[in-house]
Amino acid sequence: MFIGIDVGGTCTDAVLLDGGAVRATAKVETQEDLLISLGDALDNLLKGIPGEKIQRVVFSTTIVTNLIAEKKYDPVGVLLLPGPGRTFMEFRQQDDVFFLTGAIDYRGREIIPLEEAELAKALRWLEDKGYQRVAVIGKFSTRNNAHELRVAQYIKQHHPEWQVEMGHRAGGRLNFPRRITNTVLTCATRDKYHYFANAVRDAMARRDISADVFILKADGGTLPLTVSEQVPVETIFSGPAASTLGVQALTPAGETSLVVDIGGTTTDLALILSGQPLLASRGAKIGDRFTQVRALAVHSVPVGGDSVVERVGKEIIIYSERVGHAYCLGGPLPTPTDALRVMGMTQIGDEDRAREAMVRLGAPVGMGPMEVAHTIVGLVINTVVTEIEQMFVEWEQEPAYRVWEVLQKKKLRPQNVVGVGGGAAGFVPQIAARLGCTPILPPYAPVANAIGAAVARPTLQVNLLADTERQIFIVEEEGYQGKLSGKLDEIGAVELAKSWLMKRAEKMNLLEYVQEIEITNRDVFNIVRDWRTTGRLYHISVQTPRGILGHIGSGGRLMK
Amino acid sequence: MMKKTGIIFFPAFDWAISATHPEREERLLYTRDQMFEEGILDLPEIEEFSPRLASEHDICRVHFCVPSVSDQVLEAHRIAAGAAMHLGDKIIAKQIKNGFALVRPPGHHAMRVVHGNRGFCNINNEAVLVEYLRRTYGVKKIAIVDTDVHHGDGTQDIFYHDPDVLFISFHQDGRTIYPGTGFTYELGGPGAYASTINIPLPPGVTDAGLHYVMDHLISPILADFQPDFVVNSAGQDNHFTDPLGQMRITAQGYARLTEKLKPDLAVLEGGYAIETALPYVNLAILLALAGKDYSSVLEPEYNPDRFKENPKVTSEIHRVVGELQEIWANRHKADKFALANGAKYYQRTKPIYYDTQFIEEKQIEKVRVCAQCPGYITIDSQAYHPDGKRYHVLAITIPIQACKYCQEEGWDAYEQYKHDYRFNYVYLQDKSTDTFMMYRREERQEFRSDG
Ligand SMILES: [Zn+2]
Ligand SMILES: [Zn+2]
Ligand SMILES: [Zn+2]
Repeated sequence: MFIGIDVGGTCTDAVLLDGGAVRATAKVETQEDLLISLGDALDNLLKGIPGEKIQRVVFSTTIVTNLIAEKKYDPVGVLLLPGPGRTFMEFRQQDDVFFLTGAIDYRGREIIPLEEAELAKALRWLEDKGYQRVAVIGKFSTRNNAHELRVAQYIKQHHPEWQVEMGHRAGGRLNFPRRITNTVLTCATRDKYHYFANAVRDAMARRDISADVFILKADGGTLPLTVSEQVPVETIFSGPAASTLGVQALTPAGETSLVVDIGGTTTDLALILSGQPLLASRGAKIGDRFTQVRALAVHSVPVGGDSVVERVGKEIIIYSERVGHAYCLGGPLPTPTDALRVMGMTQIGDEDRAREAMVRLGAPVGMGPMEVAHTIVGLVINTVVTEIEQMFVEWEQEPAYRVWEVLQKKKLRPQNVVGVGGGAAGFVPQIAARLGCTPILPPYAPVANAIGAAVARPTLQVNLLADTERQIFIVEEEGYQGKLSGKLDEIGAVELAKSWLMKRAEKMNLLEYVQEIEITNRDVFNIVRDWRTTGRLYHISVQTPRGILGHIGSGGRLMK
Repeated sequence: MMKKTGIIFFPAFDWAISATHPEREERLLYTRDQMFEEGILDLPEIEEFSPRLASEHDICRVHFCVPSVSDQVLEAHRIAAGAAMHLGDKIIAKQIKNGFALVRPPGHHAMRVVHGNRGFCNINNEAVLVEYLRRTYGVKKIAIVDTDVHHGDGTQDIFYHDPDVLFISFHQDGRTIYPGTGFTYELGGPGAYASTINIPLPPGVTDAGLHYVMDHLISPILADFQPDFVVNSAGQDNHFTDPLGQMRITAQGYARLTEKLKPDLAVLEGGYAIETALPYVNLAILLALAGKDYSSVLEPEYNPDRFKENPKVTSEIHRVVGELQEIWANRHKADKFALANGAKYYQRTKPIYYDTQFIEEKQIEKVRVCAQCPGYITIDSQAYHPDGKRYHVLAITIPIQACKYCQEEGWDAYEQYKHDYRFNYVYLQDKSTDTFMMYRREERQEFRSDG
């Protein structure tokens, strides 16, 4: 049996799956202490079921997201090696930064050597400021980590007890500013996350659950809990992935569906394209910082069931913030949920209070409660539909760098609009009608997110770069930089990438998930100097297939 | 809201002229690495767009592809031109403040008639953009400033008789580099005198010399011309490490040039120091367009002490600038009819060489000298193609500003030449109505396309 838990901002949802069937569901309020919510959810699910029966637990957690949002993480001293290019002075406003001399170029060649004398200065700066956590990030360090290694080693030599993180380990892709963010946040949250992971293990042990525990990632893949401790930043932004995977499990395979997750204050939009959730072309953004965290392409619309509704003059306006529950649930102000209640599209809350909320808005301008309710629901639908149209335009604008990519671009149009979340039933049929799609409200829609967590599977990628002129290769995900022995052709480069994927799987204890390997990118560049081919560059990307462990029920289609 | 700099980056990682040709997949690879690593596409001042394809009609608005567009133009070319058009749309709609089409393949050596690839170019990206902007948005006066080390002979050819398109090209002196043209006396046809300005410079020009040209010649000319839209053919082969040119311009020099020129749209042209120049120059240009600090974009090979300009070079620059200043100052004294020696038609005979494919084209270009408009043009062109076939074509182009008489006479000429046994193909481009005609005489087939 599998357990999936999604710890959201207001609710913690959980399911227990047995084969393709939902055995139990639970919904508890999310507490300040996430572990309490996690424990509550588990106890609710397990009633009478012995812990040994559980084969796998996957949960999504907002702990790192919250730490970052509330700036409750530990202070980090940042050492940067920016080399020639942008000045990056703006990073002084975000982090406490010390700039070092030294530069690497795009092919990993040293273009400016380190200045050893500066290291002592940097160390004194860190000591004076009282930092015990240090992030060292160099431009192009993913192509050559020598400078980062030297700086980190120097600091460790003088302060073995300090925690030092290096850019090439924390953010292996190209993008220096995002690598800085990844490294700083990894450094800042690692201890607190470790504490959290220990508490999770403890909570499992106390319930006799000895199953593997995984954490959901923003791209819909999972990581073993222990592995996630090395990369706590990878756990951010997994909520939208949970509900999207849930929809994937609850709808027929291979279809193109727009996922509309209507929550309390936001509506998340995602796309399942021919059965696969669409990935964002760039990493996730947290607060005002861009990271290298791979995520699904999700748009958030700041409107939901608990959004505050007010009247200004004759106009009814929906605000993006939440003040409390809906009025019909004892909250202070009218909300879209009250409108749905009046229209009979939901059974939540007290009908009289809902009507009272509508009257309060409409009476002074001579609008009846039903008219007000219709106006509010119309506004919500307009906002969401406008955003959906905008989102498709943006997806069509995604950059393409190869001729075939430009040619195969086509207009994306979904077949289905699938609603999940509290407000789905009230809004989704009308949204679908506006878009000319089939509305689907799958069974278990309220816990689709937890189902998504339960069916998520580990995905592993390896991006390999080999440079036969310089006889080196790089594995971005591992921060590994090695030497090539002898000749390497394209087939050899693909094999090398695959072997590193297997190595990575073995290290994470995930070999059972690697039955096949997909090649997602294979670029070969001739290096030509003076009209002679002097080498080749191979850019190879391999991964285990993305997807889910299985579908739930009939892949339900309730509304036609 | 702050307006952004739009960029379309199209490195065409799956297209090359040949495996070891300078115009190959690897060309923008390191530029991509540098741009991505700098995180430049995350800047709030910059927005990235994806390219679209220029249509056949967009290409026919400029070129006569022999025998037809599909024989000369691949998808990669249509994407590069389409990228420039797409950014043009965004600029006209004021969605972005300026743009950079960082694309390959390049275009500025492609002339009006296309028998094959010339100087790595098949179609002229800037010209396709210009005709599109004029047709779609009624943009009147456009300036194209070509900052590539090679003379932009293709662009010059296309707008040579057009008084509303100012073409300025500085480049290494044609006696020392491909394509061997671009001298100060090439000033445009009689009806477009001084709307072509060529600034041939001696090898060895540094940033200082280049900015002397900019400050004393290009900027004042642009200020007089008052263009509605400025396109920069942003070649980067003036760089001190370029293998094809012998100039000594740096990334800083290019960035400051961009800052002064303030182009609405920069379109990448040449530049083949793919490791030592392109990653840095492209970054510097983009930062300059976006109004960001580029002062730290310094090439690893850059050493300020080595950049003293030879006094002989400096004095030659001053001489050329002086000569052109005088021509520009006296441009209004030139009379159209006097320049054409009183003839009704102004005629040029041009041998055109296609270096990439070893094609030799013979061309006779005839322009009607008209008091009301720039006059329609007939072009008699013949060449052997690499497949051994000989093509002899006749092409007529009617300018967008055409008077009634020139338009009618152009169409009459087309009808007549259709029956002329000398020509395999007869084409007509009526820019005033956005119509394109093509007649295959042997098959007696006619094609028409309207915009
Ligand atoms: Zn030029
Ligand atoms: Zn050039
Ligand atoms: Zn005329």
